[in-house]
Amino acid sequence: MNIDKSEVLQGTLDLMILKTLHALGPLHGFGIARRIEQVSEDVLTLNEGTVYTSLLRLQQQGWIDSEWGTSENNRKARFYSITRRGRKQLAVETENWERISGVIGRVLRLQGGKQL
Amino acid sequence: MNSWALRLVSRVSGLFGQKKAESEFDCEMQIHLQLLTEKFVRQGMSPEDADSAARRQFGNTTLLRQRQRESRTFMIFSAVFQDVRYGFRLLRKSPGFTAIAVASLALAIGANTTIFSLAESILYDRLHVAHADQLRMLRWVEDKHSAVDGMWGDFDPDPNGGGMLGSVFSYPVYQQLRARNAVLEDLLAYKEDSMNVTMRGNAQRVNVDLVSGNFYAVLGTRPQLGRAIQPTDDATPGAGAVAVISEGVWEREFGRSSAVLGQTITVNQTPLTIVGVNPRGFTGAKNTHDSPDVFVPLSMQPVVDPKGKKESLLNDNDMWWVNVVGRARPGVADAQAEAALNVELAAATRATIKVKPDQTTPRLVLVDGGRGLNYAARMFRKPVFVLMTMTGFVLLLACANIANLLLARGAARQREMSVRLALGAGRGRVLRQLLTESLLLAGIGGAGGLLLGYLGRNLIPRLMSSGWSSTFDVPMDWGVFAFAAGVTLLTGLIFGLAPAWLAARSEVSSSLKESAQTTTRRRKGLGGKAIVAFQISLSTLLVVGAGLFLRTLLALNAVDVGFLTDHLILFEVSPPVRRYGPEKDVALHQRLEQEFAALPGVEGVAPSWTAYIADNMSNGEFAPEGEKSSSDQGDAEDINVVSNAYFKTLGIPIIAGRGFGAQDTVSSLPVAVINQALAKKRFPGTNPIGRRFKTDDEKPVWIEIVGVCGDNYYRNLREEPPAQFFLPYVQQPEVGGMTYAIRSQVDVGTLVPALRRVMQQVDRDLPIVDVRTQREQIDENMQTERMFAALALALASVGIYGIMAYSVTNRRNEIGIRLALGAQPGQVQGMILRESTWLAVAGIVVGVGAALLLTRLVKSMLYRIQPDDPMTMVGGVLVLLVVALAAGWIPARRAAGVQPMEALRHE
Repeated sequence: MNIDKSEVLQGTLDLMILKTLHALGPLHGFGIARRIEQVSEDVLTLNEGTVYTSLLRLQQQGWIDSEWGTSENNRKARFYSITRRGRKQLAVETENWERISGVIGRVLRLQGGKQL
Repeated sequence: MNSWALRLVSRVSGLFGQKKAESEFDCEMQIHLQLLTEKFVRQGMSPEDADSAARRQFGNTTLLRQRQRESRTFMIFSAVFQDVRYGFRLLRKSPGFTAIAVASLALAIGANTTIFSLAESILYDRLHVAHADQLRMLRWVEDKHSAVDGMWGDFDPDPNGGGMLGSVFSYPVYQQLRARNAVLEDLLAYKEDSMNVTMRGNAQRVNVDLVSGNFYAVLGTRPQLGRAIQPTDDATPGAGAVAVISEGVWEREFGRSSAVLGQTITVNQTPLTIVGVNPRGFTGAKNTHDSPDVFVPLSMQPVVDPKGKKESLLNDNDMWWVNVVGRARPGVADAQAEAALNVELAAATRATIKVKPDQTTPRLVLVDGGRGLNYAARMFRKPVFVLMTMTGFVLLLACANIANLLLARGAARQREMSVRLALGAGRGRVLRQLLTESLLLAGIGGAGGLLLGYLGRNLIPRLMSSGWSSTFDVPMDWGVFAFAAGVTLLTGLIFGLAPAWLAARSEVSSSLKESAQTTTRRRKGLGGKAIVAFQISLSTLLVVGAGLFLRTLLALNAVDVGFLTDHLILFEVSPPVRRYGPEKDVALHQRLEQEFAALPGVEGVAPSWTAYIADNMSNGEFAPEGEKSSSDQGDAEDINVVSNAYFKTLGIPIIAGRGFGAQDTVSSLPVAVINQALAKKRFPGTNPIGRRFKTDDEKPVWIEIVGVCGDNYYRNLREEPPAQFFLPYVQQPEVGGMTYAIRSQVDVGTLVPALRRVMQQVDRDLPIVDVRTQREQIDENMQTERMFAALALALASVGIYGIMAYSVTNRRNEIGIRLALGAQPGQVQGMILRESTWLAVAGIVVGVGAALLLTRLVKSMLYRIQPDDPMTMVGGVLVLLVVALAAGWIPARRAAGVQPMEALRHE
């Protein structure tokens, strides 16, 4: 399979979802989408449907679990929660992310300096 | 479990429950959209605007659904499914191609699986005991001056010298060897013999193994039920009245009931208690394929199987009869053990029998005992090797067939591949499609091969053993199946993918522009032709081989055996010596003869010592009055002891004098009938009738020759009718078991139960065994030939197939161009015919050369023809030439008959 742009974005989305579930506990897809919208302060716009693609992938990795239940306004909904493996993965990914974003940040600053 | 494995598991499980997951996801999306719409409504949108805004923000649901489905399972599966469907459609579209390819594959895989499984089981199977490779059998070699005289057991010519090779010892010699043996582990002894056994009121003749007390301990075998025969059972002659039965008997007679222990069976009228059941697969120490049914302590021999003058062989120094086996002792080399035991054998021989100064004692040889006496291997070694070679050629031919077919097809499809590539198919995708097709073909062929192999596995034993004797179990050898399947499939893959690979690599535009058909044909033409020539030569070899075996079978079938074989039923009656001693047995047979003759529809009853064409023989001394005996054995002739109605019943003509009749009784003058061969051999130029001779020095009486009868085949159909003399059984002091021949037009199915009823009335414990017709008996004697003829036919068909597979159909384009450029149809046909002829001739010449070399190896298996039999050679060559030319010419004529434009437009 070839890596395209959406793959990178999805990877980021995966991380955001993991973190959201880690911070807020079990949530349904709609709740996750709301939370990301709120946190990103409308900087990131996304097709909310892609959340579900991410959720399926995370579930296949065994990092999250899902269960049907009832939502706050008594509606049937599927709730996702982070697993222990997911927590571990989150720690690894967070560290990775920080390292890479640090490197990228440094690289970008360096480039800017040269141009000046 | 690491994450990729988890992912794999979830994807594989995603293959199932696909529907449920999808509907759940639909439900989830629905809820999300609803919530989103509600949110927008709360923010002040109209319901319609909110709905479309929600849809916008959520994204394309169809695409999402598709993507979910894809990641839920392997996309490749649905693509493969597509490929398979497409492949099936293509195979259906060219049924000829499919049929030949599948048939080639199936035949090669099936035949090889069967034959090699058979070979392995015959030649390399070991006894089913722990560490069979450690077992050593004691045998010996003796020269002409050996002191050992009385022998009951197998012996055959020593392949390494002029002497005889035997494997039986007298019981006293065995005991002495066992006591003095320090080079092998404990020595066991056994003797297999057939006896009358009554189980649950059902009398039958079965093989009984008399075994020493340490038999089970040395073999390391533990019964699956009850106990084994132990040294205490074997301690006192006649006291160990116990038996261990085989699993087969346990299943057949006792329905695997554990209540079998403690039940009583009678063996030759002696009641024995069943104490154990042998484990599955255990066959004793004699052979690897079928097990004796009952195992009895050796010390019971004087009671259950009395032989000789003293009845007991246990203290008989002169009779050599038990087989002896031991286990190798760690650290003792075989040569060392052999030398040590040889010294012991010489000592034991001299201690038990009188050795005159000019006599020798047998020399001991130690051989592998892990396969028992290995009869099957010795009997069938040659036929099995020939079979293996032939099927090996079939495998080669099948590979050539498939290679040729796929190459031709690949060339024909170059254009299709180019078109597909041009339309944007990925190279990988095209290769995958071709791979799928090849695998599909291989799969169907493999399944056919498996089926054939399975059928063959059931068929071969039936060909190898007669309907009335024990069956020969051939295990399915999966290793062999895997090998044959692997080789053919690999061929299919290589030759299926090679053209595809080339096609996929070539530049799309160039192969489309250059009408790939002609260019690629040039390039691959030579390889294709070589394969066709190879096919033809292999086919020649197979057809010639088949012809030789068919002609052998025909020659054997055409033999006039010397008596009338139709409507003749044979069976055995073997009265046990204990109940029917001398004279009593004669009386029994006389009574049976009368009772059987009284049955409706019975035209004649004729008991005799020896059944003909059954590989049996007995001979006796024939010393005419006034003739000086030349040597000890030189004047022995084949003998048969028969009833008075024998010649009439079998239809053996009396040429001169008279046959036996009612006037010949126990008290009348001893008489004999001799056949023409004997008359010619021993009484050349004189009238033998009225001459007298002696036989058997135990009770020498003069026997008068009263008649001369026609010759008949004796042991088998390959040996010319031997000189033979006949004595009436009523004049013999004892006769023992006899083979009854009954001539009747009545159906066997009705007659046999009637015969059994008569037998039951006469003696409840005496079975009628080995019922067969004389025809079956003869057919059984030709089992090897029959098997070869059947196989030969199959092989010849494969060979013909091989050539038919070669065809010129895909030269339509070229033919069209030639015709368009002005060639006459006749010229085109001539060209193609010339090419086919050259190929055929080249192939056939090579094939005949190979056949001349290889058929020499089967010389001993042929009958009345030479391996280079000109009829067979010429016939085979003609058949192949005709088929090869037809295979080339018919499609060529069809192609030449079409309009040039049509041919050019083709494809």
